[in-house]
Amino acid sequence: MDRAETQMAGKSVAKGKRKKAVRGASRGWSTNGAQAAPAKWVGQPIRRKEENRLVSGKGIFVDDEKMPGMLHIKFVRSSYAHARITRVDVSKAEKFPGVVCTLTGAEIKKQVQPFIEIGPGGAQKIADYPMAVDKVVFQGEPVAAVVAETRLAAEDAAEFVEVDYEPLPPVVTAEDALKDDSVLHSAMGTNRNWHGVFEYGNVEKAMKQAAHVVHIGRLHFHRFSSTPLECNVILVNWDPRSGDIEYHCNNTFPSFASQFLAPALGVRIDQIHMKSFDIGGGFGIKITSYPYMAVCALASRKAGGRAVKWAETRIEHMQASAHGNERTFLDTRVALDKNGVILAIDSKHVDDCGAFPRYEPLGCVIWAQVLPATYRVKNIRIDMHQVVTNKCPVGPNRGYSRMQHLWFMERVIDICGQTLGISADDMRLRNYIRKNEMPYKTPNGCVYDSGDYANMLALAKNLVGWDEWKNKQAAARKDGRWIGLGIGSTLDSGTNNFGQARIINPDAPFSGQSKVGIVKLDIYGEVVVSMGSVPQGQGHETAAAQVVADALGITPELVNVRPGFDTAHNAYTGHTGTYASQFAVTGLTAIHGAAMKLRGELSRLAAWKLQAKEKHLEFGVGAQGPEVRVKGTQKAINYWALANLVNVNNAGMPESLWDVTLNCRHVFHANFQIPDVKRKYGNLTLTYAAQVHAAVLEVDRETFQPKILAYACVDDCGKAVNPRIVEGQVHGAAAHGIGAALLENCAYDSDGNLLAATFSDYTPITAMNMPELLYGHLESPSPFTLNGAKGMGEGGAAPVHTICAALQDALYPSGVIIDDSHNTGDSLFRSLQKAESGGYAGMVRVEHQRASR
Amino acid sequence: MYAAPFSYHRAASLQEAVKLLQELGEDARLIAGGQSLIPLMKMRMARPTALIDINFVSELGDIRTPKGELHIGALVRHADLEHSAAGATIPLLHDCAAGIADVQVRNQGTIGGSLAEADPSGDWGTALLALDTSVICFGPGGQRTVPLEDFIKDAYTTVLAHDEIVTALHVKLPLKGSGGAHLAFKRCAPVYPTASASVQVMIEDGNMCKDARIILGCVGLTAIRAKEAEAALRGKTLEEKNIRTAADAARAAADPQSDMRGSADYKRILVGTLVKRAIGIAARRARGESVEAGHEYAGR
Ligand SMILES: Cc1cc2nc3c(=O)[nH]c(=O)nc-3n(C[C@H](O)[C@H](O)[C@H](O)COP(=O)(O)OP(=O)(O)OC[C@H]3O[C@@H](n4cnc5c(N)ncnc54)[C@H](O)[C@@H]3O)c2cc1C
Repeated sequence: MDRAETQMAGKSVAKGKRKKAVRGASRGWSTNGAQAAPAKWVGQPIRRKEENRLVSGKGIFVDDEKMPGMLHIKFVRSSYAHARITRVDVSKAEKFPGVVCTLTGAEIKKQVQPFIEIGPGGAQKIADYPMAVDKVVFQGEPVAAVVAETRLAAEDAAEFVEVDYEPLPPVVTAEDALKDDSVLHSAMGTNRNWHGVFEYGNVEKAMKQAAHVVHIGRLHFHRFSSTPLECNVILVNWDPRSGDIEYHCNNTFPSFASQFLAPALGVRIDQIHMKSFDIGGGFGIKITSYPYMAVCALASRKAGGRAVKWAETRIEHMQASAHGNERTFLDTRVALDKNGVILAIDSKHVDDCGAFPRYEPLGCVIWAQVLPATYRVKNIRIDMHQVVTNKCPVGPNRGYSRMQHLWFMERVIDICGQTLGISADDMRLRNYIRKNEMPYKTPNGCVYDSGDYANMLALAKNLVGWDEWKNKQAAARKDGRWIGLGIGSTLDSGTNNFGQARIINPDAPFSGQSKVGIVKLDIYGEVVVSMGSVPQGQGHETAAAQVVADALGITPELVNVRPGFDTAHNAYTGHTGTYASQFAVTGLTAIHGAAMKLRGELSRLAAWKLQAKEKHLEFGVGAQGPEVRVKGTQKAINYWALANLVNVNNAGMPESLWDVTLNCRHVFHANFQIPDVKRKYGNLTLTYAAQVHAAVLEVDRETFQPKILAYACVDDCGKAVNPRIVEGQVHGAAAHGIGAALLENCAYDSDGNLLAATFSDYTPITAMNMPELLYGHLESPSPFTLNGAKGMGEGGAAPVHTICAALQDALYPSGVIIDDSHNTGDSLFRSLQKAESGGYAGMVRVEHQRASR
Repeated sequence: MYAAPFSYHRAASLQEAVKLLQELGEDARLIAGGQSLIPLMKMRMARPTALIDINFVSELGDIRTPKGELHIGALVRHADLEHSAAGATIPLLHDCAAGIADVQVRNQGTIGGSLAEADPSGDWGTALLALDTSVICFGPGGQRTVPLEDFIKDAYTTVLAHDEIVTALHVKLPLKGSGGAHLAFKRCAPVYPTASASVQVMIEDGNMCKDARIILGCVGLTAIRAKEAEAALRGKTLEEKNIRTAADAARAAADPQSDMRGSADYKRILVGTLVKRAIGIAARRARGESVEAGHEYAGR
């Protein structure tokens, strides 16, 4: 299929939908001088409201902001991964011209409480200070800071800080960490900070009844990051008069950060003010910037209440902000019936969270949102461990914790399929959860809301030209070419239930999920929306305007959405942030609720003023702008007049209307329960967007480089609020995943030195590496959400699964087992050498049991 | 990411630049495109005390073809060559220029700076060795001409004296019947290649190789001229067997090191393949075919 055709195929769904919306338009609207508009803005692929501002250089990023008397901070960082600090001497730096003060870990220890630990037991004893106190546990960990009048002075002076280290044995791999030969946090006494067994059904019985049991050796999901264009930036002022801390900062989960900062710094949460405007990408990596936020605040206080700015450099970002979780999968056993249907999976997983469990060990349960992946398997036992190692702490990187598990499940499907001679597509069709089984309850009590994986696969195969490529592959194999076809099925679970933290720690005092939206009519009748989200490029302003436009019967241009997040808007709860694929559900439902409240108030006001019954009123846009009118008459009152009545001109208003504020706040609550902690059972998340990708690639016989020959992405996120934004998110997630699969790797050497501290070595994906993406879209509306929308955007690392699958398909005849999520020409060259020398012998082993079953 | 303190001087002429180099001493450095020097300064891995800007010296930015020779001024940007008539007539130059980094770097970086930097992975040091290139240098004693093979002595080391400046390169125009190619494998756009190969061949009677130059990049401390590989082609037909022998000889000549770009073993394999492919393209060009060639990138 050529490109034009596939684009048609991809667009046909959206086109059909648009038609429907237009048809609806003739019903709802009695035009009164207003221009024609669709009945519903939700579902329209309108251009993003924020685009013009951003592409014309009018975005406001934290580093664009200044405060009077602003100082700059420079961190002095450890070059060792693991070492005792024997001396820190800041005296020379303090004398440097322009330096205002310095900070050391020892000094900070006296001023703050260690950060809250989420983990139970021994993990509670970890003393996580925002700066190393007496030992460093990862390369790049801050050991001191210099605060100066200019950034240049701070950088110059930092070179005069003297630090002596006594190196300790570094712990670099998860397997080494489990040995506890060298321990990072002596108070915890071990490197294993969490352990639990997730067991459902009857695994052993299924193993006995199986026709085949496949044993799989070590699999490894590598460390990578998101490398947002904008690194972490913090501008803070700790006002000595009020004791209030004002942050301009691009942390993307401010409510989480403030709950960690307040007890550490000894302030009330209402004294922490946070504000962002535009953010140059986040992908979860900026959630754990709170240690830096703490140090910067302390620096401001020490400097006598002068503002302090920190703009992280790329090397700092690579070494010491956050990476994604690395995971190793050991001793896997898979039970299958004679048709290749998986009956049971048993495996040991070791997650590596780097030097400190920040946000962790939540990753030890988040994956369980997608326990059986897209498959019907009922009997599962995962022996889950998490360890600390001398590497950069992890953060909830896009696809967080689920993608590692989903990759594991996709490897299991492909390895079993190949072992039993069942093709990749067939293997999936035999095991997928069926459309008519939705909503589907997983063995651990999660509910998959909707989805049609088989149909997505059919569309992906069609887009990529699967059958045709199968034929070409057979011919090419005869010529000795390594062509492979691969499928990646994945889930993007969204709107998480924080109650799952109880499975990690029964005492964790948080659960559920909530978000705030505020819609008000300002004094001159402007519709103003404050979002309880922290947008980083996801088009929240646009989607919010579409929802409010529908609620009030106006157009998105008439809806003013305040960019960014600001605690002053009071649009937050303790769950507020942008993470875990949820804005389309949580944020928009909150905003919708607020808009409907405003609509109710406007209706009551208008009924009084127009002397009509509320049921006879309609909302729309008239010659005088947005208005409420009496159906079938010329009687109308516009928003300015309505706002005026409440705010400025309210003498004579009946007491029954005094509760009308035109400033409406709504809190979205997801209907979640606290899971059964003992059984590790319960509904952990609300929606399940799905992605099925298909790829054809060729491994060059002479360079060993994998080349993508065709690539299709099919996405289903329920009702797409804005299909254009959805497609953009799919493209971005696909690029990110392809980068992770082929280019991006936070590799460490055995001494704990990060080998990818610059872009020259990390090589984030560029346009030169990208294949054409063939895009298809299905809509399985969620029965649980407003409009049937589902959160999306993380993408579930579909390309990582897909590319590994295609590589496996290409090289399986040569004896290679793709056992790592990251593959390069070099690594494939070595894999083929390993295969030649019999290195994969025993990596996959099948026991054929009673074939009758 | 701020450089350590330095003073800035703008030279109006070559003579002034030389004088400034002498006056400001060993820790002064010339700055051309800044695409190697500035990143190093920002990481404080280079700490010159003074920068002498030669971007305002006139006549260093010319591309001319006086009798049988191509004159490329030291300040000619990679992008200038990419879009030049010289690049169109000598495709190897275009291959090289168009494949360096990304648009920003190509718009800024210069060919003179690239040779003076002598990065073992630099593309020009490899590509220009496949042609007859000499480096024109200007110093207190006036001008001297150094053949390129003598100009780069070691990784990041040239024969330039501290007070000497590269002013231009002279490249002998390839004869009719000759064709070349510069091919590299790069992980992504804005990074140096993992390995590169430059090949120039002279062909007679359709497929007989009269002469060949084969240069390997990124697989040694300097670009490596693979003479055994050349010998495997010279006087032979350009058939698969001979090309394979040349590629194997190139692999044997390589002396790579393991790093994040790849293991030494892998680079050795890779460079041979690049040689083989570059020979193919060079031969077709020598026969007068117009062949578009570009680097290979991970994934594509
Ligand atoms: C992200 C990135 C990717 C890159 N990728 C590639 C690549 O793929 N391939 C490649 O070949 N290069 C690559 N480069 C390097 C680029 O080509 C540079 O332009 C080149 O190496 C140096 O040229 P310049 O003019 O920028 O020199 P500068 O950085 O200004 O100077 C470099 C050195 O040369 C000296 N110097 C400069 N001009 C002269 C002169 N006329 N006489 C004597 N000494 C002089 C300077 O004193 C300095 O020591 C990359 C650079 C970057 C930033």
